[in-house]
Amino acid sequence: MAVGRRDGKAGPDALRRVGEASVLVLISLAGGPKHGYALIQDIKELAGVELGPGTLYGALDRMERLGLIEPLPAEDRRHPYRITAPGAAALRVHLDAVERVSAAGRLRLQLGGI
Amino acid sequence: MDEPRAARLVQAALRCYPARWQRRHGDEAAELAALLIRDGTPAGSVALSYLAGAAREWLTPRPGRRPGRRPGRRPGRRLGAAACALLAAACSLGVSAGLLASAGPARAASPSPARPPAHCQPGSAEPVPAVGRPLVIIWVAGHGRSC
Repeated sequence: MAVGRRDGKAGPDALRRVGEASVLVLISLAGGPKHGYALIQDIKELAGVELGPGTLYGALDRMERLGLIEPLPAEDRRHPYRITAPGAAALRVHLDAVERVSAAGRLRLQLGGI
Repeated sequence: MDEPRAARLVQAALRCYPARWQRRHGDEAAELAALLIRDGTPAGSVALSYLAGAAREWLTPRPGRRPGRRPGRRPGRRLGAAACALLAAACSLGVSAGLLASAGPARAASPSPARPPAHCQPGSAEPVPAVGRPLVIIWVAGHGRSC
């Protein structure tokens, strides 16, 4: 478990505690660097979730502190972000875990005949 | 809402963030708000999202920053200052309870009619599981739980 390490950086299971908004932002950034407005639009299209701007900046700050994303040089007033290597690793671990839970849930529904 | 008024509303919400945050994201956040409002997002909803973000920003502990430990500052003062600033901002914006209720996604999505929960009605002793995030906590003598 690496969240809260002394160096402030995160381990591969960091996404267990950061919340859904952060996971959605990371998934969006996995498709390439984006700034705030592009992230909100992409997440709306991808997941049908409208992230509030306050939620978005909270998630960006938190993940930047954890080293999961990093800002790129500003374009005009916009700061694009990109996913880092630890961020990509953490996202893979998280998606694998979600897949396992999802498969278990489907199996139980099937066995239960619901 | 007309454009200048929407911009003022958002600017007021952005001023609730710590100065460090405003220096880093302030310009971009204002531009993002303008784009969202242009796309049809209500200005009140954008401002409310920033207000909630500002509250989180003030209240979230940061590595290397220990609230209440600075010499000459009493513990909890920072928390109180943040709460007062947000309350004052909300009042000055004229954010009504109705706006808060309509902008809350959990409440907006709730199909239940607007009446008190069963455990708060006279004569009911049945526990009702909490659903969603409580916006306001009301302590009622008798069951001692939040409604």
